[in-house]
Amino acid sequence: MIRLTDVHKTFVVKDKRTRARRRIEAVRGISLEVRPGEIYGLLGPNGAGKSTTLRMIAGLMRPDRGLIEVCGVDTVGSPERARALVGYLSTDIGVYSRFTPRELLRLFGEFQGVEARVAERRGMHLLEELGLADFADIRMEGFSGGQKQKVSIARALLHDPRVVIFDEPTTGLDVLTAKTVLDLLRVMKAEGRSVVVSTHVMPMVEAICDRVGIIFDGGLHGDAPPKEIFARWGVASLDEVFFKLADAGGGGAA
Amino acid sequence: MNGALLILKKEFMELSKDRKTLFFTFVMPLILYPLMFLMLGRLGSQDAASRAGRPSRVCLTDPSHVLGRDLESDPQRFLVVPRPPGDLRQAIRDQKLELALEVEPAGAGKLARNETLEMTVLYDHSDESSKLALDRFKSLLRKQESLWVQARLKVLGASPQLAVPVKLETVEAGDMGLFMGKLVGSFLPYLLMIMMYAGAMQHGIYATAGEKERGTLLSLLATSLSRTQIIIGKLLYIFSIGILSALINLLSMAFSVGRLMATGGGGDPQAHAAVTGIAALATPSVLGLTFMLMVPLGLFFANFILLGGIQARNTLEASTALTPGIFVVVLLGVFSMAPGIEKMAWLPFVPVLNVSLAIRKLFSQQGNGFEYMVALGMTVVLAGLMTWISTRMLNRESAIFRV
Repeated sequence: MIRLTDVHKTFVVKDKRTRARRRIEAVRGISLEVRPGEIYGLLGPNGAGKSTTLRMIAGLMRPDRGLIEVCGVDTVGSPERARALVGYLSTDIGVYSRFTPRELLRLFGEFQGVEARVAERRGMHLLEELGLADFADIRMEGFSGGQKQKVSIARALLHDPRVVIFDEPTTGLDVLTAKTVLDLLRVMKAEGRSVVVSTHVMPMVEAICDRVGIIFDGGLHGDAPPKEIFARWGVASLDEVFFKLADAGGGGAA
Repeated sequence: MNGALLILKKEFMELSKDRKTLFFTFVMPLILYPLMFLMLGRLGSQDAASRAGRPSRVCLTDPSHVLGRDLESDPQRFLVVPRPPGDLRQAIRDQKLELALEVEPAGAGKLARNETLEMTVLYDHSDESSKLALDRFKSLLRKQESLWVQARLKVLGASPQLAVPVKLETVEAGDMGLFMGKLVGSFLPYLLMIMMYAGAMQHGIYATAGEKERGTLLSLLATSLSRTQIIIGKLLYIFSIGILSALINLLSMAFSVGRLMATGGGGDPQAHAAVTGIAALATPSVLGLTFMLMVPLGLFFANFILLGGIQARNTLEASTALTPGIFVVVLLGVFSMAPGIEKMAWLPFVPVLNVSLAIRKLFSQQGNGFEYMVALGMTVVLAGLMTWISTRMLNRESAIFRV
């Protein structure tokens, strides 16, 4: 279970030209809830505040205001406990390419407090699921982007997290690998985990997400099943919702 | 703390996968210094042997034949060559000859009349062969002078001992070990500082800004390890590399220099006394106390590197920020080598420099308990303060997510 209550986040940036400091409200009063066994799609254009929201849920960033709870644990009050419950993946995340996948997973198992034997078994199981078992003992220096992404997914799920946060998990992946990831997300859902996915691939959202929230200019719009959003906005696809929001300057909240 | 050790383990595991870096960090110094000093020793001894085995070329202008026979009778040391065309000074600079001797034309007559004979010698002080030729000539002249003086005394019917009122025997009363201790103490802090900083810098950059650049820092931060554990782990890694690097370099250097002095000295009693002296001085307590000072100093440097690395967006920026630190360390080191600094009353209270002073005094057997404790205490406090600042910095989102 994930619960966000009136979450705000502001960044201070420096204007290179005027040298003046500006405050940018990346997230403005977002409230949402993701229940166990639910896949929540978080959409929005680049720079809308999706990654910031996900990082705050994952306990990597602190909100300026508001409350974020992961399975009842406050991410600000107990960030380590919260992170132990979350499997976080971002396209920004790299892998330690000098290691083999097996070594990396064993090490991250230790970081997450997973017993070595369990980490080894679970890591190998995940690599098999992702079709990477044959590469378990090869150094990752020569791995493709897709292979590295698969290892990152295995790393994120190694400690059997109750909450899964995938930030653009299929970016840069071929169709087959992307399907493997989607299948894995469905398994996560079936296992009763709360899953949040951020993506730009609309068909993927429509196919797997139970509910969708659109972040536009720091605010959350929608927060309903895809079909309900279509009906509410009188559109046939999520792309059209985007266009409508852009036309309304983010102010046409539903 | 366990989490910090896991990070330390991860860093060393990563390092162990990079054979080239391992080689250049830990194996290269073990090969480089012995090889370098061996080559230097060989070249030096070969050069000295070649000079010693070759007669010095001397251009002699001696119309009255005062010295000609003496020089020619010692072909092992002198080779009288004809005057080269042009300027004699230039000929010496061009190494066509080592020495040019000019005896006044009426030299023989003056000697016969018991007057003072005048002669001029040209040599090049910057050339070892020319200096050797001058030494050889002075030695020959001393013998010849003694013979002339004794002949004159004989003519006067006086005792030959009249020319030798005093016979001086020089005996070295000083402690060669102490002399070497002072010498080592003056440059050891410099070497320690530069090796600890430079040795750890690139590894520190790799472990901090490098993690950001490769996008791996986020994966660490997303684990259930606390940020403090991550920063302490990285700090321990940078510190360990700095200390290991300095120790390996120093040991290799000490072994090479010791061997060079013991063997290359060719049985020179001074060289032997120096090696024995320094070996006697480097007692476990002196080495232990020096190491105790190195620990907080290494931690201070590690924190400095960590701060620079964490604040940077990428390795290039970190490298640019941290490289001037090398010059600061060099400057501190050079200052600590300056003669007479131990007399500055305020120096024991200046951080970092007081460590240099304390090490210097330890090796010159002038250790002062109070000053040592002040240096140790101040460095420990400084290292602790820097660690606190580092952990605060890493906990700041602006430092981690600075892109």
